[in-house]
Amino acid sequence: MARSLSEFLEHFVLPLLGGGPLSVGAPLRMRERELLLEQAGELLRPELQFLRMRRAQLLVADPSLPAPDPDELSLWIGLHNTLVFDHPERHRVWSRSTVWRRVEGATRSLLTLPSPTSRGETLARHVSVGALVELTRADMVVSTPAGELRAIGQELPRRALRLLGPSDAVRHETVRWAEQPHAPETQRLLEDALRASPLTCVLRPLLAPPGWSPLSAADAFSDRALVRAICHTWARHRDWVAVGGAVAGALLPSLPDPSRPERAGPPQGEGPLALPGAVLPTDPQVLAGVVGALVHLHFLKVVELDARLGVAAVSRDPGVTAFLALPLLLPRLQDTMGAPLGGLEELDQHRTGHERLHAPLARRWIEYLDHLQELMPQGAVDKLLASLVPRIVQTP
Amino acid sequence: MSRPLLEPVGAGQTRFRMQGLSTDARGIAVGREVLITFPTIDWLVAFLGAYSDEASLDDLLPTMTLEHARRREGGHALLLRCAAGDGYAVDRLGRLAGSTRGQLYTGSGSVFLRWRQRDAPFGYDLVSPLAPEGEEVLVVDLDYAASYATVDRMDPVELIQRLQLRRVPLPLAGVSADPEGCGLKDLALALVAPGIASRVLRHLWRLETVFAGYYVQIEGDAQASLLLRIRQPRGRVLDVLYGTPGIELLAPVSSRAAVQVGFRHPIQLSSASGCLPGEEMFLFRGDVGRVERLPGPPRFIDGRHLVEATGAAMPRELGQLREAELEPLQVELQVRPALSPREPRGTLIAWEQVGLLRHLVYLMPPSALAASRVIPLDEGVVVITGSSIGARSRAAAAGLGAAAIVPLGRRLGEVAPGVLVPDGYELWPRVRPALTRQLLGLGPDDHALFLHPRVDPIRVTAEQLLPLDAALIGRLQLSETTVVEPELPALRAGEIENRKLGRFALWGFGRAPKAADERGSGQ
Repeated sequence: MARSLSEFLEHFVLPLLGGGPLSVGAPLRMRERELLLEQAGELLRPELQFLRMRRAQLLVADPSLPAPDPDELSLWIGLHNTLVFDHPERHRVWSRSTVWRRVEGATRSLLTLPSPTSRGETLARHVSVGALVELTRADMVVSTPAGELRAIGQELPRRALRLLGPSDAVRHETVRWAEQPHAPETQRLLEDALRASPLTCVLRPLLAPPGWSPLSAADAFSDRALVRAICHTWARHRDWVAVGGAVAGALLPSLPDPSRPERAGPPQGEGPLALPGAVLPTDPQVLAGVVGALVHLHFLKVVELDARLGVAAVSRDPGVTAFLALPLLLPRLQDTMGAPLGGLEELDQHRTGHERLHAPLARRWIEYLDHLQELMPQGAVDKLLASLVPRIVQTP
Repeated sequence: MSRPLLEPVGAGQTRFRMQGLSTDARGIAVGREVLITFPTIDWLVAFLGAYSDEASLDDLLPTMTLEHARRREGGHALLLRCAAGDGYAVDRLGRLAGSTRGQLYTGSGSVFLRWRQRDAPFGYDLVSPLAPEGEEVLVVDLDYAASYATVDRMDPVELIQRLQLRRVPLPLAGVSADPEGCGLKDLALALVAPGIASRVLRHLWRLETVFAGYYVQIEGDAQASLLLRIRQPRGRVLDVLYGTPGIELLAPVSSRAAVQVGFRHPIQLSSASGCLPGEEMFLFRGDVGRVERLPGPPRFIDGRHLVEATGAAMPRELGQLREAELEPLQVELQVRPALSPREPRGTLIAWEQVGLLRHLVYLMPPSALAASRVIPLDEGVVVITGSSIGARSRAAAAGLGAAAIVPLGRRLGEVAPGVLVPDGYELWPRVRPALTRQLLGLGPDDHALFLHPRVDPIRVTAEQLLPLDAALIGRLQLSETTVVEPELPALRAGEIENRKLGRFALWGFGRAPKAADERGSGQ
């Protein structure tokens, strides 16, 4: 248990943001949050603000983060408690399973935060949650004839080492925490933590919880620098088609279908829900931002000369199909949201010979579009033309 | 006003009143033959010459006939008849005929119509059918018709062979000044009169000319003349052959025809191989006004078989060399004053003047600096720029180094590669430069310096030559840079360290009264 906010920051938050060993101990209670908040001045520590800013600057040059607030402290506590459920010595705690369920509920309530309302807040959430999914863990592993003995994020007990024979090898493994199997509670709480940070979901769409939509990160898609960072983060993935497919697959179900009747309100008589359902923005500009970013991902790969190879085999996943069909919608969308080559061809018209820098690029892009045209079934394009395009191109 | 005899053909018209007219691909009415009338034979020759310059006469010759005709109304004309091709070929004939006072008509048999003009781009057709009388040829123009009766027929091939050659001017400096313009650059033919054949052969043999020849019997001559073929003749040979009476120099114009130098055939013979039938070789001689038809293709024999060897002297093998007896010949190599000036290639600067040299260095161009070497000696500093120093730059090759520029010290001139003597002196006797180096016992990269006429030379090896620029400039000290480590390490991911929990009771998570707790657990 953290006795003070500075101790909590020292042992958990600062290592979480800046690297280094972060210690996970007993879960923090809701009451302790109130106690920590009494020392809220500690939240303005320069090193904490500096680390937040540096981590946010991995994405954009001028993050303009708001100062840490009680919501952010709740998030940190929630993240700490999420890690507690993976603690290898959890069975030594004197408690019943119902108590653990209460711990999970309290943690979930800490992680349940309102949607970020500004760009700075979106970034601040991602600073913490993004650091969580990047955490590593140093395991100490001993292979014995009887099997493998693994100390998860700990040193092996001395008595275990004493029993080792000369042929038993001790090795240290550093693994990524997010990719390891988790306790069921941790798995559920991790989804809650990701829901609290829409930007992290956008950047790591393969980890995003079910039901997530990129439209929940509307602030991110209306900021040019942030969209650029998102596109380049996607493009760094080896399996960028799956990443784009995950985003497109999450986007399409969240669009309200005009042919479907409006969703009925909450059934009466069963008591109110704990929180009102999130209302996703369906502003055409936000939609155009998401679609434009996905098209730009194609363009980045064409610039890298990687595209032809990547889309040779088409997946049966509808998200991937929709993602690959998006550039084919450009003739209908480019008047509204622009095109990757917008303006470059006009620049080249005034140049001659080798000064026409963009001519090979334009040729590759057109070849890529032709390749996609041959690859994609017309039905997928027609479906997008009916569902997505009218939401972006709105005729008065 | 007279009634027009011809009417223009309309676009797309396919039926004509005159027989034999048909349309080509462009819709132009073309007859099977064309007829060109010339007022004199000179204009006919001019037409043939112009046509042979532009196209091949071989296309026309198979169907060409030349007739000398009399006009019924009075006057004569020369008629050239040949088969008409398409509209383009007839257009070309019309253009050339117009330039040589000829009139072009098209038609067939004995009736010919005017060829198309600007007023009638598709040609003309008869207004009413006309027919000539007897053997005459009827030529119909817009407003008159003329009948020609053939008086005489000429063979075009024979005409071309009998044409008189035309003189052309030769370069004032002689044939050798412009062999290409005279057509003699690669090959020259010479027809040598029988009386001087052997002397010409001997002369060519002495000049080491590559030639071949054989004797040809020319009609009317008692003895056979010599026809020579000289490949890539030198100017001297051409001048001799052209200026000698009894020798006619001929330039080949095609594989089987040659025209005398200084004359030109009115027809371009290279485009009229049909004019030269058979395998004979034709020599067009301008001076005597004859065409020689040599029987059969030329069979030249190499020149070395044509000359006869008359030498009877046999060289004697040299026996023992008498080296010892050469001693009385040997003389001392000495330095003596010379009158002829030499280009300075080095300078000996006393140590007192080195300070001045240091100032002058700033004025020197970089190529001169790079081409100079310096040798520090007790007497002073010798700066040399020789052709023997690796001539990497143009300045070094031209000897334009610092030594030629610096106005200090005693100048040194180069009498042999790498052998320098004071200015105003030379080595006596004047032996070959390579022998001078050999006599001085110099290695390939060594230099010999005669710093004073009465002082023995010194030998400088390549290692002792210091580059001038490197010797002048003191070593520059570069300050070592210090690499500044970035203060902040890159951000790393956090590492989970599960603290030892021990045994403790998990309390405090009871039913919390907070509304927020309840809301959260309901999710």
